Amino acid sequence: MVDTVRVYVNGVQVEVPRNAFVIDAVEKAGFRVPVLCYLEGLFEEATCRICVVLVNGRVVPSCRFPVSEEAKIVTEGDELTRYRRTNLELLLSTHRVKCWSCIRKSNCSLLEVSKQLGIEGLPVCSECPLIGDECLITKGEPCLGPLTVAGCSAECPRYGAPCVGCRGYLSDPRIWEDATVELYRKYRVDVKEIEATMKFFWSNLPERLREVVTKGGKP
Amino acid sequence: MLPQATLRKILYGSKGFRIRVPIASCTLAAGAEEVYRRVRRAVEELKLDAEVYTVGCTGLCFMDPWIEIAKEGQPPALYGNVKPDQVPQILKRYLEGDLSGATAVRFKTDSRDPPSLDELDYWRLQTRYVSRNCGLINPESIEDYVETGGYSGLKRALSMSREKVIEEVKASGLRGRGGAGFPTWFKWKVAYEQKSDVKYVICNGDEGDPGAFMNRLLAESDPHRVLEGLIIAGYAIGATKGFIFVRAEKPLMADRLEKAVNDARRAGFLGKNILDSGFDFDVEVYRSAGAFVCGEETALIAAIEGRSRPRQRPPYPATSGLWGKPTVINNVETLAHVATIFQSGVAEFTKYGTEKSKGTKMFCVTGAVKRTGVYEVPVGTKIKTLVFDIAGGPPEGRKVKAVQIGGPSGGCIPAELMDLEMDYESLQSYGAIMGSGGLVVIDDGNCMVDVAKFFTGFTLAESCGKCLPCRVGMKQLSNILEKITSGTGTIDDIELAQELGESIAKSSLCALGGTAPNPILSTLRYFKHEYVEHVVNRRCPAKVCAKLVKYVIDPALCRGCIQCAKTCPTGAISGSPGEVHRVREELCAKCGQCLIACPFGAIRKV
Repeated sequence: MVDTVRVYVNGVQVEVPRNAFVIDAVEKAGFRVPVLCYLEGLFEEATCRICVVLVNGRVVPSCRFPVSEEAKIVTEGDELTRYRRTNLELLLSTHRVKCWSCIRKSNCSLLEVSKQLGIEGLPVCSECPLIGDECLITKGEPCLGPLTVAGCSAECPRYGAPCVGCRGYLSDPRIWEDATVELYRKYRVDVKEIEATMKFFWSNLPERLREVVTKGGKP
Repeated sequence: MLPQATLRKILYGSKGFRIRVPIASCTLAAGAEEVYRRVRRAVEELKLDAEVYTVGCTGLCFMDPWIEIAKEGQPPALYGNVKPDQVPQILKRYLEGDLSGATAVRFKTDSRDPPSLDELDYWRLQTRYVSRNCGLINPESIEDYVETGGYSGLKRALSMSREKVIEEVKASGLRGRGGAGFPTWFKWKVAYEQKSDVKYVICNGDEGDPGAFMNRLLAESDPHRVLEGLIIAGYAIGATKGFIFVRAEKPLMADRLEKAVNDARRAGFLGKNILDSGFDFDVEVYRSAGAFVCGEETALIAAIEGRSRPRQRPPYPATSGLWGKPTVINNVETLAHVATIFQSGVAEFTKYGTEKSKGTKMFCVTGAVKRTGVYEVPVGTKIKTLVFDIAGGPPEGRKVKAVQIGGPSGGCIPAELMDLEMDYESLQSYGAIMGSGGLVVIDDGNCMVDVAKFFTGFTLAESCGKCLPCRVGMKQLSNILEKITSGTGTIDDIELAQELGESIAKSSLCALGGTAPNPILSTLRYFKHEYVEHVVNRRCPAKVCAKLVKYVIDPALCRGCIQCAKTCPTGAISGSPGEVHRVREELCAKCGQCLIACPFGAIRKV
C-alpha cells in the first residue's frame, strides 16, 4: 500500500503519496499553476518562483515543496498573482524580446505564461504566424507589429495587411532598437513610411522612442 | 565569574609578572604586531623577568592596540591606544608604581588609581558570559582554557544521556545566535530522532555582514569554547563528524580553530572514545572561499559538498543535510553558549534575558559612535543602553538618526525607537532582525536613501543568482534607488520599490533574498519623507547624494587664496588670486576636496 497524505487544494480534498510535491497535488485536484523552470525529473530547483502557491498561508514554490498531512493549498489569489506577475516582469526585464525572429515562435512557455498573467510588453509579432521570408517587413511593408502591444491575435498581418499599431505602442526602447536594426533598416523600410503608418500615435510618442527609429536604432 | 584565585593566576602568570598583548585580526590591523615586538624588546632591554603573553581581544576596539601589564603587588593596568614608541615609557612608569597613564585597572588597590574596569560604563553594563575569556587567556593554549573551567561542560554532557543533554538545552531556552533565533534544542532533537548511520554537525563561522565581527572575535580569542560546544552538539545528536566552516579570508580565526582542534585531539577531547564515554567524534576546519550566501545553511552545506548555492527547504538540514545526512548547523556564538551553559549550569544562563529569549548576545557597535567594539549584553537590553551608555553615543556635534541592526539583511530602527528592547520578536516587529548582531549607527550626516542603496548594492553583489526574484529583483531595486539618488526618480518609483521589495521578500528561495529588501522596506517605513524629498524637490536633505548637491563659494568669506582651485581635480574652480572664486557646475565632479582644502570655510554644499 502506498503511503498517502490528504491535502486540500482550494478546498478540494485529494490523496497524494507522502513524498509528492505540492504541484502533484494541485494537478491531481484538477487545478493548474503556471510554471516556467520546472521540468519534472530534469530540473526541480525552484528558481523561477512563478509557480508559487500558499500552503497553510505561507508562500512556497509548488514544484519543490513537499506535501504534508492536512495541508491547505491555495493556488489563486491577489497576493499570488502579484508575486507571479512581479517575477515574470523581472524575467522579461532581462529578456530581449525578439519574437519576430525567435525559433520557438508560439511554442513558448514564457509567452504562454505571460498571456495567462496578462503581462503587457509583448509585441504583436509574438502572435503573428508569419516569420522569415513570410514576414511583411521583409517585403518592405511598414508593418508596426514589432512595436505594438500584442493581444489582437495579429489579425491584420495574418491576412497580409501590415499592422497599423491600433493597440498602442510598446514602451520598452530595447524592443524598438532591435526592431529598427533587425527589421526596418535591414529590409530598407523607409522611416517616412513608418511615420505615416504610425499616424495614430506618432505625435504622442515619447521623444526617445521616436528618435530610435529616426536615428536608425541608436537612441 | 571566575574564582578570584584562578583569575589572579591567569592575570599574573607563573612568574608573577605578565604583559598581555592582544593578537587578533582587529588589533593586528591597529598595529599590535609592532607593539608586541616593542614590548618584547623593552622587556629584554630592561632585563625584566616578565612573560609577554599573547591573548585574544577584549572587544574594546576603540582602544586597540592595548596592552595590559600585571605585576604581583600592583593592580593589572590596561593601556589603550598604545603607540610602539610609548612602550618602554609605559613599562618604566608602571614599574615605578605610577599608573596615571593607564586607561583602566582590573581592580583597584588604591583610590588614586585610574578607574577600574567595573567603574567604566562600557565594561560595567556588559554581561560577559560567553566572552568572559576574551582578552584574558591565550587562545592558543588549551591549558589556559582548561584552567578557566574549560571542557568541564563536555565532561558533564558526556556523563548524561543524549536526551538529557537536549533536555538541558531546552531548559536553557537557548535560541540560535546566527540571526533567525530558531530554538537550538529543536534542531538537535529533530536530528537526534533521525535514523542514520552518519550525522554531521557544522559550526557556521562564515559571518559576512558588514559591521559584524563577533564570531571572528570569539573564535580568535577563545576557540576552545566554540569547539567544546561543537563536540557537545555532536554528542547530543549522535554525530560522527563535525565541521567548522570558516572564511579563508579570516586566516587567523581558521588557524586558531585548527590549532584548537589539534590540541583537543591530543588531550583526548576529540577522536575515538572521548573521555572513555564510547563516543567517537572528530572535527575538520573547513576554509570556505567566502560568500555572504554561505551564511545560509543550505548554501553552506552545498559549499562543503563542492557547489555553493542554496536549495529550497524543506527538507531541512536536520533531516537531510550534508550529503543527504541529518545535519545540525549552529552559529559560532550559539555553540560557545552551549559550552558555557554546560560549564556553569542552566540557572546562570536563564538569569539573563527576556521571557522568550534567554541569555546574552554579543553585539558589534560600529559607525557613528565614540567607542566602537563588541559588547555582550543580556538579550532585551535597550538599544539606547548599547548605543549611548556603552558605546558612548555619536561624536560631538552629531545626532543619531537611525541604527541599522542585523547588517544588510536587517533593517534600520529610527532614533525615536531607541527605547526598544532588543530581542528577536520586538526587532522583527519593527522591521529589523537581530541577525548576527551588528549595529551600524547612522548619524545625521547620512542620507537614508544612500544607506539603503549601499546595503542593496551589497546584497545584489552577494546574491548567488539562483532564483529570479533575488537575481533580477535586487538589480531592479538598485536601479530604482540609483534613479532616486540621482534626481531622476518619480513618486511612482517609490511605490514600485515598495511593491517590488515585498514581492522579493516573499517569493525568494532562501533567507538572503527573503531579507535582502529589508533595508529598503525599513527606510521606506521610517524615512519615507527623505525619499519623497529626493523625487519631489530633487534635494538630498543630508547633502550626501552627489548628483543632488551643489558646491558654492560664499563670496563674503572667500579671500581668493586659490587653495580650492589648486586641489580641484577637474579644474572646475576658476578665479585669480585675490578674487572671489567660482565653481563651474558643469565641470564639478562633486568630490568634496575643495571643502576640505578651503581654510576659510567659504565653500558650502547646498
